[in-house]
Amino acid sequence: MRRFIWLSIVGLFLVCVLTVEIKADSNDWQENFFRANQAYKAGQYKKAVSGYKELIRQGVINGHIYYNLGNAYFRMNRFGRAILNYERAHILIPRDADINFNLGQALDRIKDVIPESGGYISMNFFQLKSLTITEILWAFACINFLFWTFLFIRLFSRSEWTYYFMVTFLALWLMAGASFCLKWYMTATDDRAVILKSEVDVLAGPDSKDTLLFQLHEGTIVHQERTEDGWKLIRISVKKRGWVKSGALELIQPASG
Amino acid sequence: MKKIATIFFFLLAFSLAPYTAFADISVTLNLNRNEATLSDTVRMTISIKGSRESDLEPVIHGLESFDVMRCGTSSRFEFINGSLNSGVDYQYSIRPQKAGTFKIGPVELKIKGKTIRSGIKTLKIVERARTTGLNRGSLFLSAGVSPAKVYVEEQAVYTLKLYHLAKVKDLTLDLPDIEHLQFKQLGKPVQYQGVYNGTYYNILEVRYAITPLKEGIYEIRPSKLGLNVYESGQISPFDMFNDNFFDLSAWRPTTLTSEPLELNVIPIPHEGRPQDFSGLVGSFRINTRLEPSELKAGESATLTVTLSGRGNINRIPDIKGPELENVKVYADQPVIKVAPDSPGPSGSKTMKWALVPEKEGRYRIKPVSISFFDTVGGKYRVIKTPALLLLVRPGGTGEVMPLTGDGKSEVKAGPAKKEIKELGHDILPVHTSIKDIVPEGRFKPGTLSFLLIFLGPCFVYLGVFIGTRYYKKKGGSKAFTKAKSASGIVAQRCKKAGISSSEMIHIIRDYINDRFGQSHGVPTPDEAAEIIRSNGAGADTVNELRAVLQTLEDAVYTGKGNKPCNMEKDIRDLIKRIEKESR
Repeated sequence: MRRFIWLSIVGLFLVCVLTVEIKADSNDWQENFFRANQAYKAGQYKKAVSGYKELIRQGVINGHIYYNLGNAYFRMNRFGRAILNYERAHILIPRDADINFNLGQALDRIKDVIPESGGYISMNFFQLKSLTITEILWAFACINFLFWTFLFIRLFSRSEWTYYFMVTFLALWLMAGASFCLKWYMTATDDRAVILKSEVDVLAGPDSKDTLLFQLHEGTIVHQERTEDGWKLIRISVKKRGWVKSGALELIQPASG
Repeated sequence: MKKIATIFFFLLAFSLAPYTAFADISVTLNLNRNEATLSDTVRMTISIKGSRESDLEPVIHGLESFDVMRCGTSSRFEFINGSLNSGVDYQYSIRPQKAGTFKIGPVELKIKGKTIRSGIKTLKIVERARTTGLNRGSLFLSAGVSPAKVYVEEQAVYTLKLYHLAKVKDLTLDLPDIEHLQFKQLGKPVQYQGVYNGTYYNILEVRYAITPLKEGIYEIRPSKLGLNVYESGQISPFDMFNDNFFDLSAWRPTTLTSEPLELNVIPIPHEGRPQDFSGLVGSFRINTRLEPSELKAGESATLTVTLSGRGNINRIPDIKGPELENVKVYADQPVIKVAPDSPGPSGSKTMKWALVPEKEGRYRIKPVSISFFDTVGGKYRVIKTPALLLLVRPGGTGEVMPLTGDGKSEVKAGPAKKEIKELGHDILPVHTSIKDIVPEGRFKPGTLSFLLIFLGPCFVYLGVFIGTRYYKKKGGSKAFTKAKSASGIVAQRCKKAGISSSEMIHIIRDYINDRFGQSHGVPTPDEAAEIIRSNGAGADTVNELRAVLQTLEDAVYTGKGNKPCNMEKDIRDLIKRIEKESR
């Protein structure tokens, strides 16, 4: 019986470790990364952009790649794309100071005043803004493992210390679980998009004949509500919403929306 | 509880008494007014801090022209910023005998043989209050402005006095709002008794400093005072019980207005205006001090410049520190003190610099000058400090961290600090480190690894939990294990060829005992047959077992027990059938 239990645990670990392995074929993307950086340093920003985009297509989804891509766009004076990629980089490596600095530089160059986003869920809850969903997930996984381990130990040894550990990890489990759910919700419902065209007309309806409400400029961050026949309904504030052509903007979280 | 608290307080007080005895002792003299009439009484308070007893009664100088009446003494213990302070207040009521301006004080008292002195206060006594000669009733509000003619930014004092015979409460004051005139309250309101048109009134007085920002003749509109007044004539018939509940009907809300006034504000003359004039208006003096004036190179001296006087103190400019070759200069934060309860705002601004000479020599500190418009003389004046000399002897080379003043305040380096200016805008470079570029793993919500990591421990736990419960339910005994393994043992033992009849009979009996939980007895063929029948075996199997056992027993009892029985395969098959048919 005990042999069976230990074998189960070891087997579970092996499965876990094997299923989270890193892509083995690293030489290709390292080469591409090096070449893209060289192009950037040589001032060939278009080539650098292609290189970084190729890396992303290869599945090297990493905040530093998005940051470098943002830099390349910045050098090409395409501040909308730069902001878009800095924002994507910020989601993946939120504590990187370089991103915040360069994002600030890019935001300084846009024409529209972006109102402070006042979400109904504070992004500062449990410092969620400075943690990635993967980091929260790993923390939750560790706490989950320890919680069940102490519960498991209590099947055979009901000592007092195991009880306190179990209760502690239960509390941590609930906190980590709540944080994870909240972060997942925020990521899944992140509808922010960046205007990519130098000037965009915002109309009262999804038709070119509709009334022009106002104009937006490259780099402005808006909220995308829904898509209809090649048009997107966007919102800046309660009083400022309207329709723009789909190609005029791109979502920061490509999977959402 | 209250008793315990009292005991605790006294224990604390006694335990701290030795510390308070050595604390700094000081005495202050306070008057509740600076101006009064011959018929007024002025309250005088002498506060002793740091001690609760003196060797003798305080000696108060300057009271020759006053009738003095002692009103009481009160002791106090107070905790301020974590330190215990004790003290005593002596209260006096003084009434003037003649008009004039009097200097009261200093107060002298001896504590433990040491003489301590207070400061001096000035009290102005006028013949009688400026009255209209009209009887204004039992309740009225009076206003006055002094002086009525001022320069721009010279402050005038606006005094409001509430005269009342009956009790009043819930006072709300509405000051006039006049463009280019700023009102600022001077101290707390004071209460005293005084005479108006031969009648003794209770007087509540409040003062405001008026700062005119522009020349012109201003009409100061009446101030409005809302209050509730107690009307003794309408006392409830239940008043005999002196119960506040029945008194409610005697309070009547009312509003009083003061008389309108006029303030003439004249401009400061352009003629003779110094170039460095900062807008300072009033009466000021300047003092300077250098301590020490003689020191070794590397040591620190403190230069203190104090500007004090009456007027718009906040306009005193920051004075530039001395510039001396081979002397490092560290400026301290200027300290502004304003005394709002004096007859018009007065105060001082103290500026300090730490001077650290690096080389020996004689250093001349140039005079510091400042200009202001003197409202008394009606002309501009320049006040100047004397030049100072700093004598520096050769000294150590060690770096000295200078401290100015009491050493608590933060020091700043001589050259003024500047805000960092941005000279250019650019982004930071790309990230090139390969080790940072770790592609995302597959550990994401919804993936197999995610489910395994999160649900795996749960499943392992549940599996073990259910297993242990099942094991316990099934008995968890050796008998259960034996029953499970009984047929296997038979098969194992029957593998051997040439098993004797006596050995085979033991194998079957052991099987029956283990498999069906029997005590280790020796069942007869009939008993064994009955056991398997009662456990569900079929009639053929039962009969076959009985026959096999009978045959083996016969062999044993006929002396052939040690000979091979040659029934291994049959026995194995029979056991299989028993296993199959039994419960």
